[in-house]
Amino acid sequence: MSMFVGMNTSASALTANRLRLDTIAANVANANTTRATQVDGVWQPYRRKMVELSPKASGQSFDNLLQGAIGMISGGSEQGVRVTAIREDNTPFKRVFDPTDPDADAEGYVLKPNVDMMKEMVDLISASRAYEANVTILNGAKSMMMKALEIK
Amino acid sequence: MLVNNHLGILERSLDAAMLRQRTIANNMANIDTPHFKSKQVVFEDLLQQEISGSSSRNLAAYRTNARHIPFGNSGITSVPRIVSNPDGIVQNSGNDVDMEFEMNEYAKNIIWYGGLTQLTAGYFTKLRSVIEGGGK
Repeated sequence: MSMFVGMNTSASALTANRLRLDTIAANVANANTTRATQVDGVWQPYRRKMVELSPKASGQSFDNLLQGAIGMISGGSEQGVRVTAIREDNTPFKRVFDPTDPDADAEGYVLKPNVDMMKEMVDLISASRAYEANVTILNGAKSMMMKALEIK
Repeated sequence: MLVNNHLGILERSLDAAMLRQRTIANNMANIDTPHFKSKQVVFEDLLQQEISGSSSRNLAAYRTNARHIPFGNSGITSVPRIVSNPDGIVQNSGNDVDMEFEMNEYAKNIIWYGGLTQLTAGYFTKLRSVIEGGGK
């Protein structure tokens, strides 16, 4: 419904940022997990996950293109953001010398996950700030609609 | 008198304010989306041109349906436009959403919308007063 497009837009951003926070939580929780997947009978450490965002396109229909060309996006065109994929970070694992570790290889080295705590913390703050900002915008849309109802 | 230009201007200003709210919501939703370009709503300048009559010599065209293509530059057709600057880059990811700017626009827009609703409500109050014959 076109009346609530603004609120749906903010809601999509809240969903996306919640998923980012969940992904960061999974990364931090598995920062030391050395047995995540088994490849050819050998345990591989956890790989850092990342969220891929893209604008929620309203489709390339004639109507939307025409509306865009004349500078209007009123009507029912969907907006917002969506998560297109959860990608794995392909940077190499950390190789740590620790012969006492149960997962150490013959030379005494252990592969540790490629999770960087610093990066995760920066992402965490970025995602939670984005979440807060979108809550503010959502509340604004709500108060505008309540004001519109006061016209009588 | 009942549907004069005054109410029309208020109505379209309310529409523009709501459209601006949606545009800001969309910009803020995509604050971390790579290659996203922010959009802005232009309306008040267009309305000013229309009110000052600088476009009154042009061909007049009235829209009776929102789906009609606006044409001419006449009295009642000035609609809010959405513009974007494809060259601006603020972040490294090619995204140009400026959070401080958007929040400022957002705060202004809320107050502006509140004022417009009060004006509209006042318009109807006056109208009702006239219909009821003023002070009885």
